[in-house]
Amino acid sequence: MDFSWNYRFGIIILGDSFVGKSSLLQRYTEGMFDKSRQSPLGIDFKVKHLEFEPGILIKLLLWDTAGQERFKSISRSYMRNSVGCLLVFDLTKRQTFERLRDWYNEVIDYVKPSKMVFILIGHKCDLEEEQEVSKEEAERLAKELGITHYVEASAKDNLNVDSAFESLTMEIYELFHAGRIPIREGWYGLSVGVPVDLYNPDEPKTEKSGCC
Amino acid sequence: MARNGLRADSQNLRGTSENLSERESSSIGSDSEINGFTTEKQTDKYGFIGGAQQHTEESAQDVPPEVVRQREVKWLDMLNSWDKWMAKRHKKLCSENHYKHKTLNASENHQVQQIRAQDVPPEVVREREVKWLDMLNSWDKWMAKRHKKIKLRCQKGIPPSLRGRAWLYLSGGKVKLEQNHGKFQELDSKPGDPKWLDVIEKDLHRQFPFHEMFVSRGGHGQQDLYRVLKAYTLYRPEEGYCQAQAPIAAVLLMHMPAEEAFWGLVQICEKYLPGYYSAGLEAIQLDGEILFALLRRISTVAYKHLKKHKIDPVLYMTEWFMCAFSRTLPWASVLRVWDMFFCEGVKIIFRVGLVLLKNMLGSSDKLKVCQGLYETMELLRTVEPRYMQEGFLMREIIELQVSERDIEKEHLVQLKRWKETHGELRCKSPPRMHGARAIMIADPPTHKDLLQAPTIIVEPPLEDASSKQKKKGKNKREPPSNPTTETLSPAHPPSPTLQKDTPLQQSNQSLSSSSTEQDTYL
Repeated sequence: MDFSWNYRFGIIILGDSFVGKSSLLQRYTEGMFDKSRQSPLGIDFKVKHLEFEPGILIKLLLWDTAGQERFKSISRSYMRNSVGCLLVFDLTKRQTFERLRDWYNEVIDYVKPSKMVFILIGHKCDLEEEQEVSKEEAERLAKELGITHYVEASAKDNLNVDSAFESLTMEIYELFHAGRIPIREGWYGLSVGVPVDLYNPDEPKTEKSGCC
Repeated sequence: MARNGLRADSQNLRGTSENLSERESSSIGSDSEINGFTTEKQTDKYGFIGGAQQHTEESAQDVPPEVVRQREVKWLDMLNSWDKWMAKRHKKLCSENHYKHKTLNASENHQVQQIRAQDVPPEVVREREVKWLDMLNSWDKWMAKRHKKIKLRCQKGIPPSLRGRAWLYLSGGKVKLEQNHGKFQELDSKPGDPKWLDVIEKDLHRQFPFHEMFVSRGGHGQQDLYRVLKAYTLYRPEEGYCQAQAPIAAVLLMHMPAEEAFWGLVQICEKYLPGYYSAGLEAIQLDGEILFALLRRISTVAYKHLKKHKIDPVLYMTEWFMCAFSRTLPWASVLRVWDMFFCEGVKIIFRVGLVLLKNMLGSSDKLKVCQGLYETMELLRTVEPRYMQEGFLMREIIELQVSERDIEKEHLVQLKRWKETHGELRCKSPPRMHGARAIMIADPPTHKDLLQAPTIIVEPPLEDASSKQKKKGKNKREPPSNPTTETLSPAHPPSPTLQKDTPLQQSNQSLSSSSTEQDTYL
């Protein structure tokens, strides 16, 4: 049993197929890159512990999702139990950038009235020559959607991966301390040092009636 | 057998030194560590390059150290009062001897090896091949009158050389193929919808990348996979492509050529697991609820635990069911599960799921250390190898009392609940067929549909050296209109082509051929 964390954040990673969601997660949690990895079917999760300030331990529960449209009905129910979301697009595939607004709106709609903290990630920045989306453009979109951070990252070359996850964690932490993330009954996106009954997702029944 | 012997030795040495021949399979911890090995290209008997899937099987032989310690204590106790134990508790002694213990003495070890033997002796394989050929050649009669025997033989495991052909016959894919001659070629020649092709292409290198067939980018395995998946999106444009279809098609391709694999895939998607890959994924979610409901009777402890922590079935069963366990179990077990699945239908998939849940979560001891959703998920994601080991798993599956009727009954209950909470199903799938017999009854074949067209045609040596027909005729399909393919008798003098495997002309000789390529397509 793990009694040691002070905060636990549920974080979900979303974006189109093949933008590299699982690779980012694998790089962050396992420190490696494997281009032939199998795509997750349904939903998968990983855990990472962060010592934030001395003595403050944050446990991150990272939900990995299948990007293909038809898997959404499964991954959707887990949006609600997250407080943070990495919204990922592929810098070399313009259409994955153009789909971001849809992803964003869908999440916002779905988690209402809970708060979701986003970070925007332009992935595969190692492929400099093939980039179809400029930094300015992506930053503009982030601003428009009210997303604080935009990061260009590469799981392959290990660029900005840790810092992307850490920025998001930091932002959630600060917003929480500023009283901007209220903890409601039956919501498990963010938990404070209750070490026993780990992560209970909310009532599946009421949850399902809203999905699909 | 030799492999078993080696394994037994290294078992005893485990922890101090490792047998070199075992190094590859036992030291590889995860997929990505393989890179160093790929150049050696040493494959196991299933074609995996020191593969991750085989690894689990090998390590399944390892009894956990705590258990070994416990057993040592028990055995010391028995040995110290041997006369009493022999006189009064002989049964106990046998059970310890038979199923469990591995370290105390060599003869016992041998016994365990025999019981767990993964390698069926060659003589038995030969016998089974003859039996299976006999069945396949009078398939309609066997299915009609001796279906139980077929089921039993599927449970024992289909001989590897005939597995592909048997799967195709069991699934009704053979009949579909015969009734739709030229369909695959037609689909294959069409361009396909770029929307699906893009996704399929990106998925190709992610299917069993440690299998020799799929290891190289653009290699024949990946090419065939592309053709099969693309053909399906053209065959059912309204369904398109689901990423979970790729591993299913890849497993089929390991056992049969592309056209046959295509029809096998069609049968799985439409008869065995209808709706699993359709938009909305309702069928898989519904089966998740059915699985959970069935678990209540199979293991109350596991059921209560999952209920208490509100662990939605789709969290742990989506990949299990959608891939028919091909990404979960050690390879030997995958094949045995599929043998039974093709014969008996989806209940086998349910049973495997129930067996794993029961064993992983079925005792309060185990649950003490996994008090929560994440801990439980972690546990279910790394199922202990001993529960997935071929012999153990097969026994458990066969013994588990879960019938088609149980599943259908629960299906109705869960469907009603689903409609209450979600409304009508958005995707109307055809009814599920529970196995080979149901499929055959629904889609009765003619005798001609079941005739085996030769897949291996050997050109006779031509005396005329100037003849251009030098290439080997392997995999070349004889046009069905050619009467010689169907009526060749042993007495018949070799006509321009000589078939190695016509209905009338198979022999044990062709079976014991050492070429695995030929065996695969028999």
